[in-house]
Order: sequence, then C-alpha cells, then structure tokens
Amino acid sequence: MKRIYELNFFVKLTGAFTIMLVAWLAPDWRFGVPLALLSLVFLSVMQVPGLRGYLKGAALLVLLVMASWIGNLLLQGLSPADALPIAAGMAARLITTTAAFYFVMETSTPGSILAVASAARLPPIVTLILSLTFGIIPMLREDFERIADAQRARGMEIDNVSLPTRLRFALARGVPLLVQAIRLAHAISLSLSIYGFDMNRKRTTWRNVGLLIEPRLAHQGQTK
Amino acid sequence: MLELNDVTVGFGDAPMAVTEATMTIARGERLLVCGAAGGAKTTLLNVAGGIIPRLVAPRHFSGSVSFDGQPLSTLSKDALFTKIGIVTQNVEDQLWDLGVEDLIAFPLENRGVEKKLIRRRLQILLDELELNPLRGRRVLTLSGGERRMVAIAAALAATPVLLVLDEPTTGLDPAARARLVRILAKLADEVPSLLVAEQDPGAFKSVAENVRLLVSGRLSEAVAARTIMTQQEPWLEAGILPPNHRTTCTPSFPAGDVLLSVSGIRTRLARPDGVPVLRDVSLQIRAGEHVALIGRNGAGKTTLFQSILGLAKLAAGSIRIGGEPADGWTVARRARAIAYLPQNMRRILFNMTVLEEVIFSMTAGAAADDLVRREAHAALEKYEIKGLAEANPFALSTRQQALLGLACADAAQASIAILDEPLLARDLQGRRMLDLFIGSMLSSGRAIMLISHDLDLVQDVASRTLILDEGQIVFDGAPQQAWASSAFSQLGWPAPTALSTGAAA
Repeated sequence: MKRIYELNFFVKLTGAFTIMLVAWLAPDWRFGVPLALLSLVFLSVMQVPGLRGYLKGAALLVLLVMASWIGNLLLQGLSPADALPIAAGMAARLITTTAAFYFVMETSTPGSILAVASAARLPPIVTLILSLTFGIIPMLREDFERIADAQRARGMEIDNVSLPTRLRFALARGVPLLVQAIRLAHAISLSLSIYGFDMNRKRTTWRNVGLLIEPRLAHQGQTK
Repeated sequence: MLELNDVTVGFGDAPMAVTEATMTIARGERLLVCGAAGGAKTTLLNVAGGIIPRLVAPRHFSGSVSFDGQPLSTLSKDALFTKIGIVTQNVEDQLWDLGVEDLIAFPLENRGVEKKLIRRRLQILLDELELNPLRGRRVLTLSGGERRMVAIAAALAATPVLLVLDEPTTGLDPAARARLVRILAKLADEVPSLLVAEQDPGAFKSVAENVRLLVSGRLSEAVAARTIMTQQEPWLEAGILPPNHRTTCTPSFPAGDVLLSVSGIRTRLARPDGVPVLRDVSLQIRAGEHVALIGRNGAGKTTLFQSILGLAKLAAGSIRIGGEPADGWTVARRARAIAYLPQNMRRILFNMTVLEEVIFSMTAGAAADDLVRREAHAALEKYEIKGLAEANPFALSTRQQALLGLACADAAQASIAILDEPLLARDLQGRRMLDLFIGSMLSSGRAIMLISHDLDLVQDVASRTLILDEGQIVFDGAPQQAWASSAFSQLGWPAPTALSTGAAA
C-alpha cells in the first residue's frame, strides 16, 4: 500500500471537503475543468484501486449532466455556445467532488477508520457509522464483481452481448447483491455482539495514530 | 461449568432441530460433538455459545442453559461473550473487512483495553497461532483456512473460559489441521474448556476427551474419545463415516476421449515474489475419469480451475475443451461445458427459486419449455430436494445447497464437473448423494475433477490424482502411487486413514 494511503482518515476527509469547496466556488469551467482533470490525474498517479470502474462511472456522469444541463439551458433560450460552458462547469464540479471522495473511500479501510475515530475518543456510534459508511461501499463493489463472475461461471453470457442486455444482466445482480448486503449486515451485527461492542463504552485502538495510521503491527519489541 | 438442560430448539414449521438436549461441560473438559451434515450441530453449538436465543431467536426454544450455575439469559452480553469465545462454522458470518490485527484486537478495543496491553496480547496471539506472515493483510483477502485461524485468534483474545468451535477443520489442508490441533493442545492452560463440533471425528482424536453424537437432533451420552474412536458401529448408527472407515469400492469406467486439455499454462497472476501462481501446467481429463487435485493451501488449486474457466488470465499456454481450442471462448461458453461447484454454493446462486436455479443451469438464461421444466424437476427428485423446488435458494441449509449444486451440474449435462471441497463427503447420506452424482457423471461419458483436502475421499473415489505444489503439477498418476510418491512426501501430510489402518478395500 502506498504511504499516502496511510494518511489519517480525518486528514483525507478534510482534504476532500476542501477540494470539493474549491470546485464548487470555482467561477467557471476554465478553472473547474482543469481541476477535474487534475483530480483524475491524481487518482491515476496514486494507482487508486478500481480506477477503471470509477472512470466508466465518471464518463457516464459527465454525459448525463452535460445532456440534461444543455437541454435545460437550451429550453430556457440560451444559445449552445452559452449552454456548453455552464454544463461543462457543472460536470467538472461533480467529477472533482466524486474523485476526492473516491480517493478517501478507496484508500481508507474500516480498520483504519475505526482506529482514528477510537483514538479521537469519539462516541462508539459515530465510530461505527463512519467506518461502515466509508468501508462498506468497496466491499459491496467487490461483491458485485464476484457475483458477475459467479454468473459467468454458471454459463450466463454477460460479456459477449449487446449493451442493453449487459445492463439488464447488471440489474439482475441487484437481487443477490441485496442478499449479500443483508448477510453482511448480519455478519457485522454478529461480530459486534460476540466481540463485545458496547454503545456506552468508548473504544480504544491497537494502532498508533498520528498524521499517518500504523498499517500493521511490527514484530516483537516495537510495542508502545 | 456450562450446563444445558432439556434444551429444545425449532425453526419455522420444520421438526425440532434439537430435542431435549442435556449436557454438561466441566472446567477443563474437551468435548467433541459429532453428527451428520444438517444434523443440528451448529444449532446446538450456538445454544452453548450463547448466540441462540440471545442473538438469534428461534420460533421455539425451551429448556435452560447456565454457566457456573447462572442462567445465560441473566448474564450481560459483554459478560457472556467474555466467558465464551465462539467461531462459527461459516466463518464469514463473523468477519468483515478488517485487517488481521484489527479483527484479533477487536474484542479488546471494544472493551476499552489499554493500547499497550492490546499490542502485547496481539503479539502473543500472532506468535502462538503462527499467524505472523498474515500481519497487515485484509481478512477478506485470506484463504478460508487462514480466515478461520484469525477468527480463532479473535475468539481467544479476551481469554475466554470456554472456546466453542464449529467445524473448525473446514477448508484446512492436512498440515493446517495438524497445526490447529497442535495449537489447541498448546493452549490447554490458557483455554480451560473446549467444545468442538466436527463431521470428521478423526481430526480431533488427540485433543478430545469425550465425544457425544448428535443424531436427528438428539444428543447421546458422553463417551470417552479413546474408546469410541476405535469403533465403527456408533458412528455408522449416527450416519457418519467412522474415523477409521473402510474404503468403498467405487466402480471404474474406461477412459474415453479427451474432454479437457490444458497445455503449458502460465498465469498473469503472480505471487508476492513475482513468480506466476501457475507455471507450465499441463494436464488432460478424459471421459469416465475421476481426477483428484490435491495440494497445500495456496498451491494454486483455485487459480487452476479459474484459469480453466477463463476467470484468471493466462500469460502463456492453451486450453482445449471437447477437442476445440477454447482460448477465445468467453467464461460463460466454457462454463456450459464445465460445471463448477464451490464448497460454499451461496457464492454462485442468484435465482429466486431452487427450480429456476436448475433451469438456468440447463438453459443459461434462455426460455425454458415444458421438457426442460420436467427434466429440472426430475433432477431435483434425483437428489431428494424436490420438495424445495419453490424455495428460495438462499433460504436452504448448506447441505441442501450442496445437493442443489449436484442437481444443477447433473442437469446441465456439462462434460466435466469441478467439485471444490464437497461438504457432503463425511456423512453416509451425503456420501450416498455424492456417489450417485459421480456414478451419473462417469457412466454417461462425462468426467469429474475433485479438489479436496480429504485424502480419504480421494482414496475412495478418484481414479487419478494430481498433486499441485508451488504452481506446478508435481505428480500425475493413480492414487495408490500418489501416496508413495516423493511429491506427496514433500507435503508432509499423513496418508489416508484407510492406508494407515490397513482398511483399504
């Protein structure tokens, strides 16, 4: 794992909020689009996991935002030359925002989030919500891909088919994904109970937490 | 110490899972509970471990459970799960995406233990359970066996008085099983009492002091392990293969045409040292053959079948299926010729009813006519799950899902079935179903590839054995020759029980 991934979750979160703020305060597309492109370059340089999937989603988002905004603005009487930069600016803001939070989500494990929240002596409920909110989405995405592999391994042709069929099959994955999400919720609930999680007791952490979060326990002799 | 009195548990409208179970576990006792798959061992252990009825409320629960004379229902959850550490059969049910150290430390962090003490305990557990190579890894990236060992470490973290382990050898290769048994023996002072449920009694014969058999939800009296382990009848009456079971005579079929040919494959997927997971692997499987693939955890067995199915990308080599080059085939096209049955069938189920699962296996999602529906019903009847045709596959028990897998693979008419660690192999009823499937496949000119750590099963049913070690096939021949080979010696595993006891047919 890259060193920057080990950055304190709260530092990453603050950084993401700041970048989002800058993106939304940007006056127009001439500032917003380069910032969005820079965000994507940053994700690429940092080799953030699942980037290919994110880029596909981002491309779809740009298309949808551009189409809906241009259509809306044209209906309001703006010329295409005036509508295009406004739509581009809006799409750029969304790309920058999603890229910033995608980085936080993909590079922060539930364990590291639990650690910073526990080290900050936050109430257990806040600790839990933070780690689940940011930690569960990558897990569900992995499950989604695993279910697709299972469908392939059962003989369902989901690669060599038209785009509408692929989309239909992707939607069909919703049912097992829902089942998996329920199972995951059950697993988390069971593990919280049998491992002594208590809403009324503040947690501690084994990790050393500072600007960086300790990723693994070193061998003997390094306990603090 | 732990006392169950007249405990009866029932779920839904089904007959009671556990009926009037009474047992005591004394401090220091090491009790093994054995029974057939689906025989309610998990329900019994969940009662003993405090999960039922506290966390999972069954429709019917009666009787009492107490710990040191105090009813479990009066203990706080915290006190209860401090005294009792539990590892469930499906270990994924108690894991989520934490790191290895996070999971082991979780019970201590939750109880507000000081960081210095948690780190000291972590060091001890990682050392004692020989988990040091796993430091820093995400739990969900570990193999099944590694996950189980980490879950056991987490269960031990808060120094429980009683450790409850449900089918702890599932997914472990023979060396890992021996390591688990050695560790449990080593931890005898630290964990005074042990309750283990197992389908494979032989694995714990050196650890268990007493054995109880669970038959149709009823618990037998405790018997000294050293006495019952040498007997045959009690196990057979309980529907389980005895620890020193005699091998069955599996009919052999003449080898026919080549159904699958793997030539010199090398995977793109590499180990941490950069060496490909599979290197120059070649093999052929012919019609009528039952080929067993054995190897250590992490040897590349999973990657091999993923490569055959096209789920793992190849850097070199080629694959032919049914005589045709299959390198350009999609995964789905390959899967219509090769049916894959994982140990945990939940991973590959996605239809809303059992019948739809079988129909999907036959049609790959195309429309089904009456003939297909009739054949699907016949497959369910053959594997004795006809009554579950309209049930949701995710609502089935693990055993029923395994039977559904057999029905799907058989009905699909795939030329090869890959069976990955079948759970049905250790009890008589499950074994009967497995033998039915094997006979059905081989007699119709199809073939089976069995991936298993159960050497007794391999000895019983396989016509050929492959040993995979560090990404290469290091032995290919008859099972009897395999056990005498240097490749098998390198694994350091004990030979099948039937050979060591001289019971082979």
